[in-house]
Amino acid sequence: MEKDIIIAGFGGQGVLLAGEVLANGFMIDDKNVTWYPSYGAEMRGGTVNCTVVMSDDDVSAVQKSQADYIIVLNQASFDRFEAGVKKGGTIIVNSSLAQVKKSRDDINYISVPITQTAHDRLSNVRMSNILALGVFARVSNLVSLETLEKALNNVIPPHRKALIPKNIEALKLGYEYDLLKV
Amino acid sequence: MAVECLTGKKVLIKGNYAIAQAAVNAGCECYFGYPITPQSEIGEFMSGKMQELGRAYVSAESELAAINMVLGACSTGVKAMSSSSSCAVALMQEALSYATADELPVVLVSVMRGGPGLGNIYPSQGDYNQSTKGGGNGDYKLIVLAPSTVQECADLTYKAFYLAHKYKNPTVLLADGLLGQMMEPVEFKPYPYPEIDNSSWALTGAKGRDGRIIRSYAPLADRQCEFLEKLYDKYKKIEENETEWEELNAEDADVVLVSFGSTSRNVNSAAKLLRQKGLKVGTFRPITLFPFPNNRLAELSKSVKKFVVVEVNMGQMVNDVKLAVNGRVPVELINKGVGTPPSPEEIAAKVEELM
Repeated sequence: MEKDIIIAGFGGQGVLLAGEVLANGFMIDDKNVTWYPSYGAEMRGGTVNCTVVMSDDDVSAVQKSQADYIIVLNQASFDRFEAGVKKGGTIIVNSSLAQVKKSRDDINYISVPITQTAHDRLSNVRMSNILALGVFARVSNLVSLETLEKALNNVIPPHRKALIPKNIEALKLGYEYDLLKV
Repeated sequence: MAVECLTGKKVLIKGNYAIAQAAVNAGCECYFGYPITPQSEIGEFMSGKMQELGRAYVSAESELAAINMVLGACSTGVKAMSSSSSCAVALMQEALSYATADELPVVLVSVMRGGPGLGNIYPSQGDYNQSTKGGGNGDYKLIVLAPSTVQECADLTYKAFYLAHKYKNPTVLLADGLLGQMMEPVEFKPYPYPEIDNSSWALTGAKGRDGRIIRSYAPLADRQCEFLEKLYDKYKKIEENETEWEELNAEDADVVLVSFGSTSRNVNSAAKLLRQKGLKVGTFRPITLFPFPNNRLAELSKSVKKFVVVEVNMGQMVNDVKLAVNGRVPVELINKGVGTPPSPEEIAAKVEELM
């Protein structure tokens, strides 16, 4: 089994970090995994994305033009990546910052007010990226919350360990996204 | 951000950091560099780590200065390195030629980006010729190692230090922007090679012995001929002892796909797709670009009907494959000028067209 995940958003939304946490999770679960960022003349406020490929076998290719799961945290990313979801795949949309205009009937749309929830429930919009991972864990069933908690420990540097409990809270909130008013 | 890498523990890490950590583990005492995308993380990691360990880190004023500092450090016998990318590695060619003549164990990490000229910062394999044929003057060879995974970035960095010191010859680790920027799980093993005794030549101060001079100047024609013969005897020995490659299902294949570095990942997947269709396709990946696995390719050309070289440049390694195959069977090229390699599906479709 091989699954491709793309995470996309504004520069500054923590897209690359979310991908790094997810990729660490797959590593912890003993999967083969690669993480590859979009990089070029990027800037804060510009769009950014990363591709995470998880596989039981060798990863077939590091960069993919299509993915099984695409998490989009802003409008520009929704507009760009909706077409890139594989048939039968899923797009997870941050409805706080993107309007979901469904133009396909062969993919699943999961719409969650990620930024709004991070703001209202965690008083910190910067938790949006990790909250989105919680949603992904629930929707995909590819990685457990426990694994992602361990992954957070791998990624968050020692001098920022105090932020871990809050991030775990964000993960759990995302995992129970269907309880949120969507 | 750099990850703390203890040996024996799996970590998810960028290729650039894997190279830097491996250099530290290998006992690199001196790093001299000048930043350039897509390899700047190497210098960034070294700037902290080397100071922490009481080793030398110098952010040089230019690439020219950086590589000549490496030559100076290597002349004292220590493990020293620089890292850079394409258009900046171009600036180092003169020093690399000198280092072969001076027989200095220089280690240079070259993380390829798009060219020619300033080009761009996307991955590329356009410096195959730059590293294997060289841009410096005179007859010389660099040992060139080409990793295809982040794990290999670490393992071949170890090997680069070992081979550079074993043969007293500049050694290049030839990665690319894809390997430098991607993350993958890596397990760092302790440095696995023996330490090379360099007490017979290193400049360590002439206390209690005669002074030594390291130079590349031979004013008498005979002596230069003699030196070149000796140098090329050494290259022959390197070819005999150190040629390394990886092949998959090549023995019974009708078509063998030849690629190096990060491109090989997609090529292996393409071969798998073609095998599933019942086509007899194998793969061949030179790990050492010099020494190039000529003999093995020549051997395979007796049973293989066609070679297809896949590379992200306008066709560079394909010429070495043609030399090795020596006209026995056709050698075709699938290529792309710059960027991430063609997808496995694209490669497979093009190979089918060529079959």
